[in-house]
Amino acid sequence: MKKNDPQRNTKAAVTLVNAVSPVILAFLIGAVVILIARENPLSTYWILFSKSLFDFQGLMKTLHYASPLMLTGLAIAVTFKAGFFNMGVEGQLLVGAFAAMIVGTSFPAMSPVLLVPLCLVTGMVCGILFAAVPAVLRAFFNVNEMVVSLLLNYAIAIFLEYLTSGPFRNPSSGYVSTNMLPDNAILHHLGGTKLTIFTFVALAVFIVMYFLFNRSRLGFEIEAIGYNPSFSEAVGMNVGRKILTIMLISGALAGLAGAGWLMSEKYAYTLSFSGAVGLGWDGMLIALLGAHNPAGIIVAAIFYATLKVGVQNISVFTHVPSEIIALIQAMIILLLSLKMIGGPNTRGYKRIESLLDSGRRKEKIG
Amino acid sequence: MNIIRFLSDVLLYTSPILFCTVGGLFAYRANIVNIGLEGMMYFGGLASVLAIFFTQSLFLGIIVGMVISAAIGVLFSYFSVNKNANFIITGLGINLLATAAGKYILVEMGLTEINLINIDRVVDLGVDLPLIGRLPFLGGILSGHTPFTYLSLLAVFAAWAVLYRTPVGVYVRVCGDNEDAGVSLGIPTAKIKYFAVILGAVFCGFAGYNVTVEQLASFTPSFTDGIGFIAIAAIYCGDGKPLKSSLYAFLFGAAKSLAINLAVTYGSIAILLKMIPYLAIVVVLFAVEGVKHSRTNIRGISHV
Repeated sequence: MKKNDPQRNTKAAVTLVNAVSPVILAFLIGAVVILIARENPLSTYWILFSKSLFDFQGLMKTLHYASPLMLTGLAIAVTFKAGFFNMGVEGQLLVGAFAAMIVGTSFPAMSPVLLVPLCLVTGMVCGILFAAVPAVLRAFFNVNEMVVSLLLNYAIAIFLEYLTSGPFRNPSSGYVSTNMLPDNAILHHLGGTKLTIFTFVALAVFIVMYFLFNRSRLGFEIEAIGYNPSFSEAVGMNVGRKILTIMLISGALAGLAGAGWLMSEKYAYTLSFSGAVGLGWDGMLIALLGAHNPAGIIVAAIFYATLKVGVQNISVFTHVPSEIIALIQAMIILLLSLKMIGGPNTRGYKRIESLLDSGRRKEKIG
Repeated sequence: MNIIRFLSDVLLYTSPILFCTVGGLFAYRANIVNIGLEGMMYFGGLASVLAIFFTQSLFLGIIVGMVISAAIGVLFSYFSVNKNANFIITGLGINLLATAAGKYILVEMGLTEINLINIDRVVDLGVDLPLIGRLPFLGGILSGHTPFTYLSLLAVFAAWAVLYRTPVGVYVRVCGDNEDAGVSLGIPTAKIKYFAVILGAVFCGFAGYNVTVEQLASFTPSFTDGIGFIAIAAIYCGDGKPLKSSLYAFLFGAAKSLAINLAVTYGSIAILLKMIPYLAIVVVLFAVEGVKHSRTNIRGISHV
């Protein structure tokens, strides 16, 4: 394909419009809700973005918050690509975090050079093991992976609640929490900012995944399965085994996200470890926003981290409840489900095509 | 464990699952997987409680719950039928929107839960059945439940009758089996899908009313507890057939009742027992789908 192919430009423009318009629409609806709460939506949104993007410390904090989101977003995006749904990312993340906590608190004397990778890898392995349940059921017994992974989220949350409030409870803590990680297992803040090594780990994983999906045979096969699983099976791919692989990759990413978030931010497992909506569900939004483009995942993760950091300022400076962000997030997901602009034969697509066309003609005349 | 109490609780915990199952299977039979059952139930319960909280009228609570859940049904079907949206994601969005809206409203009201205990009529909604209530064993199990619990049993038969004994039901099934054939025969498939989703949403709203108003007499932010997804599991196990799916709904309700009744006896590990229903469903789903899968002789997997 030529570099300045108009067809390709139109497609890119349509993708952009499809990703951005639900966000704008959701913020408009959010503005109405803020107005109903008798607050000024413009100043609220300004606080939301300015302190988390246009301020150095704020920006570093945003990047720090974006790290687990990037991983959970990837975890969900890989399964989307193959056309099915791992709804268990939230549970896999919790398992990864809890496992990392156990390893970290068990070997407080181990050198950080060994302990940190050990914790991260344990988190990944446990994420894989937990993802294996719906994966195996799906790949070999054709049990719907969506329902199984969703229900297992409930089960694991209860199980970890039991462990946190019983066997692993830190008796000296005022609320239900496990013991803190030892200093050797903590990822320390770099240069006086909120940033830790975890952000760079997440970026490295992102690059690996990029090559895996765009430059490898597995990536091609995953895309083929996403387009047409029966055809892929017919030409000789073992679709069941591929689905297993993807689910396990997804589980590993989720487990790593949980372990990293524990070691770089939370330090102990609490009942609200993953936040109100949950880092796994945040990943769903990020995957949907950025699914068409690898860079999209990073942009979406940073965008959402901006909201997460900004919302802490909202509750300080205004009377708008911080729950407004969960509301806006849900609205974005809802609106993202419909493609504002469809395929090449729809009215919206043609309008964008003609808009770009007239722009090009003006350029020529000028 | 008291056996009468256990069996009576089976009925209690099954009824919201039944409502959601019946609600979801209409859409399922029309070839729309409605992940948003949970959210529709949530909106229904929230709306009912709010209406009763402000007007003190149970009747208005039911009506408002129906209207709001139907409105969510309209939204869902507009997205999935007219706009060709990815309905899995639409459903997910509705679920997230429901919990977000619930929590937002609670914060705005400055409450952690909306309590209806102070409204006299809500506390004592149990109905004593006239004849059955006096039977020695059955009376304790079947009598004393709330109106919507009994209604959920009727809903199963109503769903069966609509699906298999009315033209609309035939159209719904045609939509699911072969939509193009339906279009060629002049069946308004879009309208039929709307009907299936909205009817389902209203049933989910009943489930919400049943749990919030009749069982808990309050609205708490996590009252749905995965009931919508449990219903989806029941629908999958029962192939979307009303009676068969309902049997699975009863099985899952029994698991929940078992967990809660056992928890009374075992203090310290009571939390762990709450896992039973979810694990039981995964096991049942595995058994049922596994058997179905082993009976097909197509190589590889069928996709969804």
